[in-house]
Amino acid sequence: MKKLLLGLLLTAGVAQADDVLHLYNWNNYIAPETVKRFEAECKCRVVQDYYGAMEEMLAKLAAGAKGYDVVVPTGFAIPPLVKQNLVQPLDKAKLPNAKNANAAFLNSAYDKGNQYSLPYSFTTTLVGYNDARLKEAGVDPTSWSVIFDPKVLARIKGKVTVLDDSREVFAAALMYNGFSANSVKPEELKKAAATIKAAKPFWAAFNSQSYIKELTLGNIWVAHGYSSDMFQAAQDAKAAKRPFNVNYTLQKEGNTLSVDNMVILKSAPRPDLAVKFVNFMLDGKNAAELTNMVGTGNPNSAAAPFVKPEIKKISAVFPDAEAIKKLQQLNALEGKQLRDLNRLWTEVKTSK
Amino acid sequence: MRNNRLAKWLISGPPLLYLLLFFAIPSAIMAFAAFRFPGDYGGLLPLMDVNPDTGKTELLINAANFREFLTLENFARFFQEPVFFELFIKSFWYAGLTTVICLVLAYPLAWLIARSPKKHRDLLVLLVILPFWSNFLIRVYSWMIILGPQGYFARSINAVLGVIGVGPVQLLFSHFAVILVLVYVHLPFMVLPLYANLEKHDMNLLDAAQDLGANAWQRFWRITWPLSLPGVWAGAALVFIPALGMFAVPDLVGGTDGIMIGNLIKQQFLDSRDWPFGSVLSIMLTLAVLMLAGLATLIGRGGKRNAL
Repeated sequence: MKKLLLGLLLTAGVAQADDVLHLYNWNNYIAPETVKRFEAECKCRVVQDYYGAMEEMLAKLAAGAKGYDVVVPTGFAIPPLVKQNLVQPLDKAKLPNAKNANAAFLNSAYDKGNQYSLPYSFTTTLVGYNDARLKEAGVDPTSWSVIFDPKVLARIKGKVTVLDDSREVFAAALMYNGFSANSVKPEELKKAAATIKAAKPFWAAFNSQSYIKELTLGNIWVAHGYSSDMFQAAQDAKAAKRPFNVNYTLQKEGNTLSVDNMVILKSAPRPDLAVKFVNFMLDGKNAAELTNMVGTGNPNSAAAPFVKPEIKKISAVFPDAEAIKKLQQLNALEGKQLRDLNRLWTEVKTSK
Repeated sequence: MRNNRLAKWLISGPPLLYLLLFFAIPSAIMAFAAFRFPGDYGGLLPLMDVNPDTGKTELLINAANFREFLTLENFARFFQEPVFFELFIKSFWYAGLTTVICLVLAYPLAWLIARSPKKHRDLLVLLVILPFWSNFLIRVYSWMIILGPQGYFARSINAVLGVIGVGPVQLLFSHFAVILVLVYVHLPFMVLPLYANLEKHDMNLLDAAQDLGANAWQRFWRITWPLSLPGVWAGAALVFIPALGMFAVPDLVGGTDGIMIGNLIKQQFLDSRDWPFGSVLSIMLTLAVLMLAGLATLIGRGGKRNAL
């Protein structure tokens, strides 16, 4: 009897181990409820692994990390994946929900014809803040000066975090200086690096992982981060009945727009489950859940009827026509351009 | 005789194989990588590639063009920019300070455990290693909550400082937090070897010293301390070396200028995807540690000669 039970346990374990989808995603980028419903539908288990920056994901996959089925890279990270032959073309015949994707987010420069990727959701990179504290300090969060101008920072010293992400921090500093977020001109990058170095002593930390918590607790008053994370922080602060609100806003100099896309890796152990997952997430109702629960922008036309109206009104999540003009998507950098930026980033990180 | 030799190989073989596979070979790969160029998407610039005409894999490097594939530039960069050397000094300072604080805290504790009744000792040692039962990151995150400006600990400290007229201090995201958590994480590694050593001391020596008129300080400084030196060195090595390479603690509780050499190495391999420069930094760190160990051995030998 005991042996039989043991045998049953073992086979149960094996059956379960067989049907596992490995999802490699941004942290806080899918609601647990959505995952549960997908698990029920596909009768499989979802194992998630997370990254906090594109550079981190690219480095891990370039180093030969295997075992992931679906990854959710931002647009500029797709060409490097394609050129390294790491992703497989999508079979649209198996993805009936692909028709739901909003045409404005299809056929982008990073994947013409959407051979490899389909949009998942989008975020803006902006400033989240503690409204009570900023009002007290008389600081205006609608300009990047809130994280770059030493005169402004003097009033909120040690209460600011910026992303630990070379592309995003340089993009913000470039825009603050009036340059394109994608500039690769050495003199413009140098100026941006100088801006960052001058502001760095006033920052508490480079932080991509725990700024939601720090904002919610009131430990940090200003955080440079993603709109979906700020949405989360605002909700958490409200739920915890904090004596302040966490708010977030786009900056007048412009912000980066990150359209995140689902790709299936060539090395995917379970491409069948991966296709199911991609199709599942393109379903209007499921896509709407990303917006309603995680606070992401939605590139899915079929999702609109399911999205809570109060979220549609938040311009940082759903930028209106005026705001969209100031949003820039980051380009893929290659070879020398990337190396130069990385050198500057090392310089910035080690500067005193 | 032959059996004896076989037994020797059987016993020393697995660890030797382990060191060869997971230390010697990776070190050699790293040393080679330090002289190459980074690849476009991470990794290294390939030395061979598939020729599209023949479909065969061909070596790209040859006697004429080796300069396009091998370089001293990565080492030059290390020596040209003083920030890297300064970061080394700072990391050694952090690790050294952590080791000294751990020693000062662990020595009395280990001594007390070693001198407590035998039936209690196992329980006390168990208490020392109890923190290992919860995950390292969870323990560091707990410190983030304790040190956070909204936490009771930080608020109490700042209330006291306020009374004596000193402005509020930032505890989280500071050098202080890095050292504090480094000490916290490594303390058991100092206590255990010290305890193992102190427990074996022959109490008769101390009694004899007392009979001969030595006071408490003399008994400690001339008997207990010299006898415990092997434990001190073992503990110091167990704390210093991991603390030196640590990147998670400065990442989580350090400020923007709290990074150590480990963070820089991690950054080269992960964020910057610059394996060659990451390799240079790793090699330099290994060399620095070896030099330090060599120096310590030399000083140790010198000390012994003087004693004779």
